[in-house]
Parts: sequence; structure tokens; C-alpha cells
Amino acid sequence: MFSYLLRRAITLLLVLLGLAILIFVIARIVPGDPARIALGPLATADQVTELRAEMGLDAAFPVQLWTYLTGLAQGDLGKSLLTSRPVMDDIRAALPATFELVLFTVVLQIVVSIPLGVMAAVYRNTWVDNVLRVVSLIGVVTPGFVLAILLQLVAAHYLGFFPVTGRLDGSIDFSADITGLLVVDGVLAGRFDVVLDAARHLFLPSIALAAAGIGQVMRITRTAMIEVAGRDFIEASRAYGIPERVVTFRYMLRVASVAPLTILGLEFASLIGNAFIVEFVFSWPGIASYGVRTILQKDLNAVIGVVLVSGLFFVVANLTIDLLLGLLDPRHRIRAARDR
Amino acid sequence: MSRLLDIQDLCIGFSAYGQHRRVLHHVNMHVEEGERVSLIGQSGSGKTVTMRTIIGTLPMPPGKVEQGSIHYAGQSLLDLARAERNALKGTGISIVLQDPMLSFNPVLTIGRQMDDIIRYADIRSGRRRPKAERRAQMVETLRKVQLKDSGRVLDSYPVMLSGGMRQRVLIGMALLNKPRLLIADEPGTALDVTTQAEILALLNTLVAKEGLSLLLITHNLGVVREMADRVYVMERGHIVESGPRDDIFDAPDHPYTRRLMAAVPPLYGHKVKTVTHTGPGDMVAVEGVSKDFLTRGGWLNRVTGQFRAVRDVTLNVARGDVFGVAGESGSGKTTLAKMILGLTSPSAGEIRLDGRPVSDFAGTRDFRKLIQIVYQNPGSSLNRRRTVADQLAVPLKFTGQDRAAITRRIGELLTLVDLPQAYASMYPHELSGGQKQRVAIARALSVNPRILVLDEPTSALDVLVQSTVIDLLNRLRDEFDLTYIFISHDLSLMRNFCNRVAVMLRGEVVETGPVADIFDAPRHPYTRALLSAIPVISPEEDARKPPVTEAERAKVLATSTELED
Repeated sequence: MFSYLLRRAITLLLVLLGLAILIFVIARIVPGDPARIALGPLATADQVTELRAEMGLDAAFPVQLWTYLTGLAQGDLGKSLLTSRPVMDDIRAALPATFELVLFTVVLQIVVSIPLGVMAAVYRNTWVDNVLRVVSLIGVVTPGFVLAILLQLVAAHYLGFFPVTGRLDGSIDFSADITGLLVVDGVLAGRFDVVLDAARHLFLPSIALAAAGIGQVMRITRTAMIEVAGRDFIEASRAYGIPERVVTFRYMLRVASVAPLTILGLEFASLIGNAFIVEFVFSWPGIASYGVRTILQKDLNAVIGVVLVSGLFFVVANLTIDLLLGLLDPRHRIRAARDR
Repeated sequence: MSRLLDIQDLCIGFSAYGQHRRVLHHVNMHVEEGERVSLIGQSGSGKTVTMRTIIGTLPMPPGKVEQGSIHYAGQSLLDLARAERNALKGTGISIVLQDPMLSFNPVLTIGRQMDDIIRYADIRSGRRRPKAERRAQMVETLRKVQLKDSGRVLDSYPVMLSGGMRQRVLIGMALLNKPRLLIADEPGTALDVTTQAEILALLNTLVAKEGLSLLLITHNLGVVREMADRVYVMERGHIVESGPRDDIFDAPDHPYTRRLMAAVPPLYGHKVKTVTHTGPGDMVAVEGVSKDFLTRGGWLNRVTGQFRAVRDVTLNVARGDVFGVAGESGSGKTTLAKMILGLTSPSAGEIRLDGRPVSDFAGTRDFRKLIQIVYQNPGSSLNRRRTVADQLAVPLKFTGQDRAAITRRIGELLTLVDLPQAYASMYPHELSGGQKQRVAIARALSVNPRILVLDEPTSALDVLVQSTVIDLLNRLRDEFDLTYIFISHDLSLMRNFCNRVAVMLRGEVVETGPVADIFDAPRHPYTRALLSAIPVISPEEDARKPPVTEAERAKVLATSTELED
């Protein structure tokens, strides 16, 4: 087990290194001089040359790459042109907000979609199933920004049930220093007013973000459950007198959960980068909207940083899912043991 | 004797999409206490519906009992309250399903699955036992099915056990709560013939020792002859014939029963057809061929071991031969076929097709026009989402013909395999198993190959359908001067279809020669063990099986009670 984890960790680092090199090369190939963009059209050629030197853009490409990689190894991603602060600081400030939002979103997806998917499978081809299928289809086809604006308008603005924007009410004085996640830090600090208010702020954006995934995962769960229900061992369990409830959850769902879990893992990783529309609508100070702003400004250091963070989440989510599937399905474990 | 199970005038129908169809018609059958009863029928005859109705797993709706009754030990099953009905599951009536690979939950240990079965039966009967006591009962049951090392079995996941062991554990699971009636659906037919023989012997022992009654559901008449006191024959939802086993086998009365008996390929005796036809020259020459598979792992995927799947095999297949390659799972026969088809290359030795080394032209158009394959299961070798015509057109497109020529050729091919032209626009699920296999044969023939590799082409088919497909293959061979390489574990079929055979064991060819020589005077103990394990349908055939001593059997066969590493 340990050697397996070690091997996976090394592969993970190699993937990240490859990604870093690739994105750095792409950033240097795209046309347009970052120094010129940063200084604006009125700057003189001398000023541009000066800034290029300051940014290290005048050095030979391998030298630039080396400087970049050694900096990266020490946690230095360079300076952002947009905010004039180290990119690492920007990411450190923006990432927790998105991470908290995405975490909340995925938890919401799990607790809603899997039970509903199971229900649709158990009552398949009845009115329950039909209603759920329509609902899931609506979830899949509604664009995130439409849902986000609708929720904001109805639930927040007209009805006033939830705050319209932001992570925390302005009247609350609190800074999340430990994990950066308001809910978690609120609990740690014993500030339950913070926890409650942060959760209220999280609610609408996470619904907007979760809807498409909920519909998708629900349908996948339903299909997987129906497929497993037709297997011989399910009939055998029933014939041996195992109660229906146990057959459904212990025997069917455990086998059927492989596909939905895989999707949820990828969903988690892709939301880190794709949450920007919802972040814009709800003025969420997260990394996705930071990423989009830096791309538009051709703020290359920052773009590379955001891509790396997003890539990190992908590989970590993949590893987590692989380990989880190993726990759920012994065949993964046995195969891994045999390969050793 | 009293009737443990008594089915009277049972009619069952299905309704779906507004259509109603009756699948069981006035079925009467019974099982006496301690009796072994067989229900024989082809797929679709209604035998599985009967089984499900008895155990109570038939989904209703769409199924509906229209009339009749089922009594178990005096209780009317169809009138019982749900809780009382459930209380009989596993404790009164239990089942052993066909496929030991698919009948386990793959993600739970054997011990966990067995524990659930005992625990929930306890809960229903209001009993409470500590875990250790339940475990003792599992160990006791595993001993009954002759499994050693029960501790390791209980802690294993299903994938870690061999097929034969899984079948034993499966029988054990059915027996955990000491049922009085055991329903077995095709037990052992998914296993190798020698393992199947062990399983059938075990079931017979259990019936005698544990006072069980057995209802055996099968289409294999050889198995019935070894396993039944009394027989029911079912055709399209009707019981067409019933009676004591010997009566049915000696003097089948109903035409359907007689047709079934006639379709079983005989192993010995006057009904055996000996094929001798052979042509001049070698079509396939296999010379000293071996195949090693490397196992990899550890850091950087280094080679950690080697496994020799095929070991120094030399064979010659003459033009016009129907060459049988016999062997059980893991014998290397499929690997050998893949090398002949150029799908994988030998680690040593050379294979020549029609005089040309395979390594020279594998993958070229010439090669594909020379040799083609028909797979075992037409259900999975055909693409479910494409019509028959689409699938037949795929290989033709590579021959560079225009669309009209292709359409014409598809028509010819369908005629060739005796299918109506209208089938061109159908999808595989609209066809029966035999029809699908005909399409697969037509597809293999589309480019006019001269060699066909037949990988168990009839093992997924019922025996009546099998005989028609074999007739078709014989006709096509004569018509197109084809050479067949027939891979199978069904030696009875081989006896009547092939002119020469090779028997493989653990990667080696242990015996090869003309079919009559091998079957009448087998020299290798493994060949004798294989032949003697085949369930046959007449005492005449049984008497002519070759003798094999226990010591010889033990030397060549792994028993199904050993754990795999």
C-alpha cells in the first residue's frame, strides 16, 4: 500500500512538472508582448525594454524556463501584472473562497443526486421515475448563469431568504486565517454566527453550480443501479432471503457507485476552474474569476499559476477517487497488488 | 412419500406495452421428498419463469399468475402473506444459479455475504446468535461442499477463487439455512467438463446425505441422465412429456423429446459420424511455437515473471481439414488461435498459412482474405447498434467494391447462411441466438476466406440450434473448400464434426491424430480423464468411455477445491 501511494505521489509530481513546462511554453509562444500590454499603448520603447528586462523576458528561453522552475520549486510564481502582488499571494487569497464553494457544491451533489438516482431506479418506469428524469434533464440543460441569476433574483432579491452577493455579511468582523474556509474557521473559532452566515451565502451559488452535475450524476446513478439490478447475484440475494432494503443499498448501490463517484471526482476538479460565471454573478472573490481576469489581461504569471492550481486539483481528485474505488471495490485493490 | 413441491395447473402471463402473452400453460409438476427431478427445456421454453415463480423472484407486474397453485410442504405459496413467503426464502427453498462468476456480489467477501444470509434469516425467525456461532455454521456448510481451508475462503473476495470453487461456495450459500428443496439452474455448465463432473457428484452426495430434494433446471441431457430420478420436458410453456428418467431416455414418446435426443452429438456408438475427408497439402503449419507472457510490476514496470501460455506446439492442418483443438480453460487453445490469426506473435517458432509465414503478411489485405474468425458469443461479437447489412458491409468496404456490388454481396451472403433477405435491415436483438451466429458466419465469409477459425461457435446455443449451425458449417465447407480450425471444450461435438483433433493441457499438445483414433484409444491420461467426464445420454456410451484411475486423474487435473495463488 505504501509503495503504491509513493508511486502515485511521484507520478503526480511528474504530471505537475510536465504541466508547468507545457503551460510556460504556451505562455511564451502566444503572440503579444506582456510588457507592452502591461504598460499600455502610450509607453515608450525604452520603457518597454526596461520592463522586459525587469520581467526577465530578454533572457534566452531555456534560462527563462530554468528561472521559472527553480522559483516554482520554492513556491515563487512571480509577480502579477494585474495586482502587482506575488501571484502566490493572490492565489492564497482567492483559492479558499472557491475551494469552499466547490466543496459545498460537491457535497450538495452527493446528498441530492445519489439518493434520487437510487429512488428513480427502484421506482423505475413509474411516475416517480418520470418526474425525476424530467427534473434531472432540466438541471442538465439549464445554463449555470441563467440559474444563478434566477436564484439571485427570486430567492435573494424578491424573497430575501438569502444574501445577494459575497461570502460574509459586511457587519460581521471575522477573518479566516486558519484554513481560509469560513465555515470551518468559524467552527474552530467557536463563532457560530459566522458559520451560519457563511452557509447562507454559500447556499445559492452552490445550487447554481451543482444543478448540472446533480442531473448528470442522478442519471448515471439510475442507469448503474438498473444495470446492477439485472445481475444474477441480485436475484440470488433475494432468493436467499436478504431484505429488499439491504439488497438495494449494500448489494446494489455499492457496486453501482463506481461510475457516479468517478464523475463526481472529475466534477470537483473541473469546478475549481469553471466556477467563474457563478463567481461573477455572486461577486464571489474566488480563483476562477481571478483566472479569467488575468487571462483577459494577458497576465501570464498569474495565468500559469491558476492553471497549475487547477491541474493540481485534477490529479489529486483523480488519486482520491482511485483510492476510494479501491476501498469500495476489492478488484481494484487485488489488481494493484498483483501488479506489484 | 409426500409431495414437497406440488404445482397444479399453473398459468403465467406477461403484459407489457398493452400486449399480453401467456408463457406457462397449465403446468403440472411435483417433487417428492428426497427426490431428484429435472426440468428440461431450451432457452425461452419457460423453465426460468417456472423457477422464479417457485422462489418468488418473478417480477409482478409485468408477470401475473393467471391460474393454478404452488404448494410447498402443504402451504399454498401464492396465497401466503408476503412476510411468510419471504420467511421461506433460503430456509425452505433455495437456489443455485447457473454462472458461478456472476452469482456473487463482487465487492463483498464470501464471509460477509454468507453472514448476511444467516443473519437475516435469523432476524426473520426472531432468533439471535453471536457472530462466532454464525461463522461456525459457515465453516460447517463449507465442509459439506468439500472445501478445505474454509477460513481463507471466507476471507476471500469472489475474484480470488477458481470457477469450481466458486460453484462449490455457491452451493454452500444455498445450503446455509438448511433448505429442504434446492433448485439448481444449469449447475456446472459454465465450468470445464472435468470440474462439472465434480460438482454434479457433489450435488448427488448432498441430496443423499442431507435429505435434500433437488429440482434441476437444464438443457443438457447428459447432466439430466446423471442427476435425475424423474424428468419433465418443457416446450414453449407446456410440459410435453414426463416420467421416470429411464423411461424417457430409453423410449422418448413426444416428438420434441425425440428431436432433442437426436440432436445431442453422440460420443460413442453406432450413431457417431466419423469425418475422414481431407485434402492435399498443408494449409496451416505450426512449428515449435511457444508464447510467453511477461508479468510486470514494481518500479518502472519491470518484468517480474514469465508465464508460458503455449509450449512448443507443432501441428499441421491439411487443406479441407476440420481440425479440432480441445482443452479446458487456461489450456492455451485461444492463445494458439490468436497466433494463427496473426493477432499476437509467437515468442518462438513459426506459423505458416498456405506456405507463407504469418509474420510476413499478418495484417495485410491478403492475410485477411485468407483467414477469418467466428467468435463464441454472437450476442457480443456483433455490434448491437448496427443492422445486419451494416455489419456485413464492414469487411466488404475494404475490398474496394462499389455500393451496388456490396448490396448484392450482402444478399448473397444471407442466402448462403439460409437467412431471408429481409433480415438485412434488422438489428441483432431482433434475431435469435442461432440467427445471430449465422450472421457472424456470413460476416466471416464475406471476403471469401479459405480458412475459418471457429472459437466455440455453438457453445452459447441450444442443442437443436447447434445441430443446424453445424449442418450449415459442413455444407459451407464442401461448397467453398474451406479449412476449419475448431476450438472447443465440447468433445462430443468434436467427435462428429472434426476429422482430426489436438488435445491441449497447460499449453502443450498432449495428443493429436485422427478423431477416431483419439476417441477410441486415447493414450494420454488427460484425454482419458476428459472423455470420461463427459455426461452422455446412453449406457452404451458410458460403457465405452476410456478407463482412468484416480491416480492418473489427480496427476492431470487440478481439483476445484484448491485455492488459486
